[in-house]
Amino acid sequence: MSRAWKSPVAIRAATPTLAAKQQVLPFAEPAPVSQPAVVTPTPVRRLWFCIYLPDLPLEACRRSDEALAIVEEQHGVHRVLQADSTATAAGILPGQSSNAALALLPTLILEERSRIREQQTLERLATWLERFSSFVSIADKGVLLLEIAGSLRLFGGLPSLRQEISQGLRAQGFSAALAIAPTPLAATWLARAGRRVCIRATENLNSALRKLPLTCLDWPAGQRAALAGMGVTSVGDCLRLPREGFTRRFGAERLLELDRALGHLPDPRDSWRAPERFCADYELTEEQTDRELLLNICRELLQSHEQFLLMRQLGTQRVCFSFFHLKGVATELRLGAALADRSAARWFDLLRIRFEQMRLPEPVIAVRLRSGLSQALQAETERLCFHNKPEKQRRRYSIAQLAERLVARIGRQSVNAVTMVAEHRPEYAWRAQDLLSDGPSSTLSSHCIKRPLWMLAEPALLSADNGYPLHRGCRLTLLNGPERLETGWWDEHGISRDYYTAVNGAGIRLWVFRNRQRTPDWYLHGIFG
Amino acid sequence: MSLEKLLENPRIWRGSSQIDARAGLASGYPKLDRCLPGGGWPLAALTEILIEQYGIGELRLLMPALAQLSVEKTQAEYTEPGWIAWIAPPFQPYAPALQQYGIDLSRMLIVRPKDDSELLWSAEQALSSGTCAAVLLWPDTLDDRASRRLQLAAEKGHSWAIAFRPLTARQQPSAAALRIELQSTGQGTRVHILKSRGGRPAVLNNLL
Repeated sequence: MSRAWKSPVAIRAATPTLAAKQQVLPFAEPAPVSQPAVVTPTPVRRLWFCIYLPDLPLEACRRSDEALAIVEEQHGVHRVLQADSTATAAGILPGQSSNAALALLPTLILEERSRIREQQTLERLATWLERFSSFVSIADKGVLLLEIAGSLRLFGGLPSLRQEISQGLRAQGFSAALAIAPTPLAATWLARAGRRVCIRATENLNSALRKLPLTCLDWPAGQRAALAGMGVTSVGDCLRLPREGFTRRFGAERLLELDRALGHLPDPRDSWRAPERFCADYELTEEQTDRELLLNICRELLQSHEQFLLMRQLGTQRVCFSFFHLKGVATELRLGAALADRSAARWFDLLRIRFEQMRLPEPVIAVRLRSGLSQALQAETERLCFHNKPEKQRRRYSIAQLAERLVARIGRQSVNAVTMVAEHRPEYAWRAQDLLSDGPSSTLSSHCIKRPLWMLAEPALLSADNGYPLHRGCRLTLLNGPERLETGWWDEHGISRDYYTAVNGAGIRLWVFRNRQRTPDWYLHGIFG
Repeated sequence: MSLEKLLENPRIWRGSSQIDARAGLASGYPKLDRCLPGGGWPLAALTEILIEQYGIGELRLLMPALAQLSVEKTQAEYTEPGWIAWIAPPFQPYAPALQQYGIDLSRMLIVRPKDDSELLWSAEQALSSGTCAAVLLWPDTLDDRASRRLQLAAEKGHSWAIAFRPLTARQQPSAAALRIELQSTGQGTRVHILKSRGGRPAVLNNLL
């Protein structure tokens, strides 16, 4: 089959062969019985599902049910590009100036066309479509392509797959034209032409494409006009032209397109990959200061964030909210979790603790949620429970959740765990560390001498009376000691001290030392508690 | 009217009936255990310790019980022992000493809130979370309402709350299940049980 396509000198020459073949094998099923000896590798059959969204500019901007029209600037005048059904019923047509449209329907909402928003909408749809196929491609101008040959079996055949996709699109508020063909371009053209067809075999492509008008090919208007002048208005007319002449007049690109559409040439596409990090904006129509409203917006963003992570079986440890103002830099709010998580409820819980304390200098016009690096989520296995009251037994929070809540309210520096360090200098023998980080812990082998339970952050200088230390004006009685600690000469904080256990007038035991270096002063370092 | 009939009157409150069926946590001081209902520290409740000054022995008094909590599960269905939270300690709890007393350092949480409202919030969170076996807190002030909230949070999370307060707090009402006063007598520390739910006040001289 493919040998015939390899060097087609002219379309004219190739066409009759194809037509002849089609007559012999109308369903394009190769008959293996006729040539049992020759084993040829069957080419990978692909089937492309095209979703064409003609009203994408309108649907990407739709927020409410009010009459909406999309305008675009053409030669300095804003003209209506698309109008929804309500607006159309009021007599608003594409091409009208925005003033004329407003005169017809004063309640009409006019939105500038936003290509960014259209692209975001396409990406969102592509993410959704990833559930149907491993190969989703965003072609330009409101066209999405899915390779579905591999998905047919899973979704129970072509009709049910098509129904599922079209129902899903309708539920999301999109009006789409669908077409299925063995090549992506053919599927695109058929969808643009509004033909709800399904062509499964390459052999049937030619006859299906021939009837298509050139208007659905997305060729430059000038070329289309030139072709129309020659009486060429359909794909079939194009195919009848000599190849060399066609190339000379309209460029090799057009011919290539025709060959690709017919499956003569391969047409590789980029597979769209959903981003690994979540980033979504919520734009408000006007500036807002209502904190409840902002919280609700954040909750919505967190819910789509959860959906995003759920699809990938991921979680994240950080999220960042940006509240944009018309004037001044955005206010940022960063949240951290001790363990990777995606649950919107849990993130919202943390957000609310911080949000209460956050000050917004200006009204907010947009909110953005960006998630940090995502990581595979460690799902916890619940214990199998045969009793009827599992709720009562479960702890309300894990320590990680508790730590997150504390950190969210009072700051990262103020919530610590402690660990031991193998060090003779008392002040370095322990270290505060981040909760739940498995830092190294090391202990000196033997600590036979009792250490005080309370340690002062800095040794406090004690006044002295005839060489004896005074504490609150009262002379201390030395009980034990000295324990000489002389170490740390290798860095700047070397010590040489004699430690004593002392007792003050109130019977409280203190840990004091006398400096052996420099001045022989007494210091209070700890309390035995 | 017979005594039995009189006791049936619902307006009559009997202290002994309030004794929690749950056994207390052994304090490590048999003399003290004998004075406490349930034979030890009341878990899932607020204990107030009134001290003259820091270092009088308040930590030593708690160490055996805390050490036990940090290595043993408080409830059979828990998979691991609970944490010990220190909220706003006046000095640094010294890790080597805690280890000498047998406390598992990997289950210690130290929180340093900026003010009393943050302190109470943190304590309530830690108590009701159910993850902390014990929560030690050093509030500047603790009014009746705050102590009631702590008591409820402790019951909810089945956690032991220990609030350290100055001696002047003795006159203030409190919802704590147990109030203890520590005073130095020169020879040792006197432990005075001021209030004990289901028990009786007692004075223990030279306990520590």
